[in-house]
Amino acid sequence: MSRQDFVRGQMTQLSAPQALGALNNRWAYAAAGDFTSDIDVLNYALTLEYLEAAFYQQGNQAGLLDGVEKDYLATIQSDEEYHVKALTDTIVKLGGTPVAAPWVDFGGSFADRNSYLTTSVTFENVGVGAYLGAAGYIQDKSILQAAAGIFGVEARHAAVVANLLNLPAEGGVYKGAFETPIAKADVLAAVTPFLSQMSGGMPAGAPDTGGGSTAETGSGDTGLLIAGGAALLGAAAYAGHRINSRETAQDSQS
Amino acid sequence: MAGRRIFDGKPVLEFSTGIQRRSFLKYAGLVGVGTSFAIGGGLLTAPAAFGSSAAIESSDLDILNYALTLEYLESDFYAMGLQAGLLSDRELELVTPIGDHEKEHVTAVTGAVTAFGGTPVAKPKITYPAGTFDSRESFLKNASMFEELGVTAYHGQVPLIKDPDVLASAASIAGVESRHAAVIATLIAGNPFPNPIEKNASMTDILAAVTPLIS
Repeated sequence: MSRQDFVRGQMTQLSAPQALGALNNRWAYAAAGDFTSDIDVLNYALTLEYLEAAFYQQGNQAGLLDGVEKDYLATIQSDEEYHVKALTDTIVKLGGTPVAAPWVDFGGSFADRNSYLTTSVTFENVGVGAYLGAAGYIQDKSILQAAAGIFGVEARHAAVVANLLNLPAEGGVYKGAFETPIAKADVLAAVTPFLSQMSGGMPAGAPDTGGGSTAETGSGDTGLLIAGGAALLGAAAYAGHRINSRETAQDSQS
Repeated sequence: MAGRRIFDGKPVLEFSTGIQRRSFLKYAGLVGVGTSFAIGGGLLTAPAAFGSSAAIESSDLDILNYALTLEYLESDFYAMGLQAGLLSDRELELVTPIGDHEKEHVTAVTGAVTAFGGTPVAKPKITYPAGTFDSRESFLKNASMFEELGVTAYHGQVPLIKDPDVLASAASIAGVESRHAAVIATLIAGNPFPNPIEKNASMTDILAAVTPLIS
């Protein structure tokens, strides 16, 4: 039996409710109370983006890649930096306080090309699952659309880097026909090894959100999206932004 | 979407009946295709609720049927392309699962429409311009445009979907379409990361891309 036959046979045996269940990851984590506001979700995302941006800044500086690989990873770095800037600006516009960049320690991730790219795939897939797992908490539709837009780009990163490593198509480059959400606790467990102990780890639960509420801010003008487009306000003119050096980020926390 | 029309703007969709065609066109305006299932807010609270006819907004059913039509198109496209035997080795390994995914999306979205008490649209009759599957380059170039179109289509619906479960479903598919789009881009020396945040497109724009003569 070929794989295709197996899949087809399996799928045709599903009842409609089962098919929906397979399709539908549901917001299984929405009842867990991990987030109390859109700003909480955005700060959670910001922390992950800080991690990713720092990861690629250090990894790309290590000079492990050449040619198209180097180009791909340079774009990924710039995407992550864009996400940091966009999330930061949005949190500010909502009246919240962006979390500071966490202290990071990527250990031996940059020992060689393989370790760099392998860690990258892990980061990206965690990011994909984190966004999907947190999306159910987002109340504001324009923020949701932007978060979904970031989520999709993280999925692109994950697939392309996995392909650079020549990982199996299914299970490596792709993670099945549907993306799987990852609960906050599992995301934290996955990234904790990369957080320096001096930082005290990932900001737990709700960072200082400044008490902002998207409902109060008004859904029509939250500052995240220009209606009908995916361009983030405040980020449109953003080019070549570099997050403050890690030294600066660390100084701000010490 | 200017300059990025699939099949150079040639029509590829034909509808088996006038009703199908009219229904599809209605999606462009988010007009309900029916009234019998527009009950309540549709927030499901337990998996058991799937067993009964769960109610969601009729606009959500329209969106699911719109997604179903696009998935039918993608599924058929990859079935045709893979059947043509244009790929080999790593490329074949990378594209074969995409075809499988699109088939699974068709099955799952069909099941979702049914589970929510709606009527899944029938598979449209699809006519490809001559030459679409004549070469690896043509197949992959059109695949790339299809995938990028699919990504923007899903993201365009994100803020319009009312039911959180429908949204979760659509998002979990959209991420996979992003993976497809990026991988295909790398096969044709395209840009796998064209934007730092996925673009989105309205039903009207998508319809304009896939059914230019209908609009």
